[in-house]
Amino acid sequence: MRNRTFFQTAVQFLTLAAFVLLLFLTVYPISQGFPYDFYLRLDPLAALGAWLGSGGIPAGFILCLFVVGLTLAGGRLFCGYLCPLGAIVDFSDLLIRGGKKSHPEENDRLRRGRNLKYYLLLTLLLSGFLGFSWFYVFDPISLITRSFTTFVYPAAIFLANIFLDLARPLARYLGLTGLAHASLSQPLYAANFVTFLVFAAILGLAYFSRRFWCRYLCPLGAGLGFLAWCAPVRRRVEAGCTECGRCRSACPMDAIPADPRRTVQAECTGCRACARVCPEAVVKFGWVPNPRRKEYRSEVDFSRRGFLAAAGTGLSLALLGRTNPARADHGPGLIRPPGAIPEPEFIRTCIRCGECLKSCITNTLQPAVFESGFEGLWTPRHQMRLAGCEQSCNVCGQVCPTQAIRALTLEEKKHARIGTAVIRKEKCIAWEKNRLCLICDEACPYNAIVFKMVEGRKRPFLDASKCNGCGICEKVCPIQGESAITVSSQGEIRLRRGSYREEARRRNLEFKSKELKDTFEEEPPGSGTVYPPK
Amino acid sequence: MARAGRTGAALGAATLFPQVLTRAWGEQEDKHWLDLAVVQGPTAAAVEKAVSLFGGMERFVKKGGRVVLKPNMSFPAPPAAGATTSPEVVAAVASLCLKAGAGEILVLDNPILQPRVCLENSQIKSACAKIGKTRVLAVTDRKFFTEIPVPMGKALKKVEVMQDVLNADAVINLPVAKSHGSTEVSFGLKNLMGLIWDRRYFHNDIDLDQAIADLGTVIHPCLTILDATRVMTEGGPFGPGHLEYPQKIIAGINPVAVDAYGVTLSRWYDGKIFSPRQVKHILHAAELGLGEIDPAKLDIIRSKIS
Repeated sequence: MRNRTFFQTAVQFLTLAAFVLLLFLTVYPISQGFPYDFYLRLDPLAALGAWLGSGGIPAGFILCLFVVGLTLAGGRLFCGYLCPLGAIVDFSDLLIRGGKKSHPEENDRLRRGRNLKYYLLLTLLLSGFLGFSWFYVFDPISLITRSFTTFVYPAAIFLANIFLDLARPLARYLGLTGLAHASLSQPLYAANFVTFLVFAAILGLAYFSRRFWCRYLCPLGAGLGFLAWCAPVRRRVEAGCTECGRCRSACPMDAIPADPRRTVQAECTGCRACARVCPEAVVKFGWVPNPRRKEYRSEVDFSRRGFLAAAGTGLSLALLGRTNPARADHGPGLIRPPGAIPEPEFIRTCIRCGECLKSCITNTLQPAVFESGFEGLWTPRHQMRLAGCEQSCNVCGQVCPTQAIRALTLEEKKHARIGTAVIRKEKCIAWEKNRLCLICDEACPYNAIVFKMVEGRKRPFLDASKCNGCGICEKVCPIQGESAITVSSQGEIRLRRGSYREEARRRNLEFKSKELKDTFEEEPPGSGTVYPPK
Repeated sequence: MARAGRTGAALGAATLFPQVLTRAWGEQEDKHWLDLAVVQGPTAAAVEKAVSLFGGMERFVKKGGRVVLKPNMSFPAPPAAGATTSPEVVAAVASLCLKAGAGEILVLDNPILQPRVCLENSQIKSACAKIGKTRVLAVTDRKFFTEIPVPMGKALKKVEVMQDVLNADAVINLPVAKSHGSTEVSFGLKNLMGLIWDRRYFHNDIDLDQAIADLGTVIHPCLTILDATRVMTEGGPFGPGHLEYPQKIIAGINPVAVDAYGVTLSRWYDGKIFSPRQVKHILHAAELGLGEIDPAKLDIIRSKIS
């Protein structure tokens, strides 16, 4: 659009590039202290979510004070320049609307809708305070991180592999051995359709207006709008305005009311489109000595009805969430990442950004769809049949911005037991079909699975005290369909604070113990699968 | 065969009293009959010595040829755990191949667990990083495998094998000596399972021991160098398990011979003595005519260096 400033386009391009680069870099092995989750740390709403969930705010969120300060000083500049979702919405608006300006009547029709985001924020805050947290659904940074992780990144890898396949004959011809063997492991994420639909819908809203998401829905934008109301650096109109109205239709945020000398400060992102189109060049952005003077003001017109509806919704959702059976039982098949804090707090604290999913080296971490109830949507869980948890990797906790998954050393992580494997004798081909198969024993990093002879054949036995639930056995079991050895959350260790290692020791779990060994000694027929026998 | 008898007797005794009877027999002039070279000593030097006893790497590697090395780097374990081939062995062999004029040296495996971590934790990747023309790669994607028939196979009729192996001028097998839950022990023949795509099929659908032997009829390493610098005598293949430290390198052209000797290296599973014939996949391989299973019938040169 011609009325966009080059500066804004450049900054938005850079912010998007930085966002993508940081996400791209979020892979094993990560370097300590590098801000992979920079954009999430900028997000005051995510910080609030972390605080409401667990009662503490990780130190990384100190960065969000920068956004708070920026907004207090200059209004919603974050939305106009830094927000990666804002940048995408702007760029896709260009594509979808083809540079069409907002039609004033269109704006008039939708204008009352912009209160929706304030009501939404209120609903989120109220239910969050009452113990049901769902900031993640609408938090823009969480939403875009999650979206890029679950479908942009896999799609990019898929396309890169096609390119590598096409380049392979040439690479072979040129003797480029590394390139000829290059093949990226394809990440796969559950619920990618759901995540995509939400994202596509947000972009598709461009059909109704520019920056639809930012104007009417974004709760972070609403929060920053509150902070922006007395910002001293803002739009002002000098004498000489002819009320031609060009600025009104140029404004992507519908932040200029009928009197174009005024500004709806809570909506203005400081993009300067108005200044650019003003034929009289009287629209300026800069220091305003007394920002509370009447001529600058144009308040948001809340309705009491809307306010009450929002409060009622927040209250109802909190009640629904807290009386849902998922609160009492999170299901035996739901395996949380090692270091996940206790379940109720975990669900509240996790902002579903998907950093853990992105960084997981084996792709075992998957977003929950229904496994964890409605409240647990998009929370990370292990899908062991897809892959087990690599024991040399601890990145999920290292990149978690809210520390719903704690950052642990490898040694601590090893003891952060996520469940216990169970051999399902009736499915196991070594037990049931007398086959020579001990792949689970082969692959177990802790020798928690050993063989013993029963009726002249080797059968796998499990020593639960050595199993930390990594699920590698479940992954490698060669039978079709459901594995004959599955991890259940039985025995998981979930700690809010303190050492997993000590807790494991207290529970007599030693993942190094050598007491139980493979042996050719005969066990009595009818032995179970757990050793020592009960 | 007089010499063979002597070797056998020495070997029999050596399994009982290895320290007493193992002695350096020195280099032989006529090498055509040699089955195994067993060298005890510092790893890299022992590898070099063992290969030189077979006439040097030039005998196996053509100038400009493509060489595939197959160490065991299937597990994300450090070298000290004994689950993977010692990086020193791999680096020493790669260096010898380079010196012999190899055009390309590929160090390949299809790891069981996360490939990148396996290559890094086994330290094989870093050990080979500075050796020219050498690349350490995990090949896991099915598109890098080609199905070939197994005409002699009793259980295995066809198998998808790494294309690099099929295209190689020489394959050198670099197994590590260790126990193995499913197959009792794991040496050269078992190590070749890391060059195929579908291992599940071996366990789930056909007889594992026979399948390993059958695989030996289609993948022919020109040289097998068994890393017995340390031997995981129980708890294998991943461990953690008990380690012994024979500090030996066993080289041989015949895969069955190397494996048969490997069985005699140690007691297994807390003191159990196996004979090579008790290890079914080695027995099946011998039955297929792949080599001599009786260590007493093998010509072995033993050497001890310091």
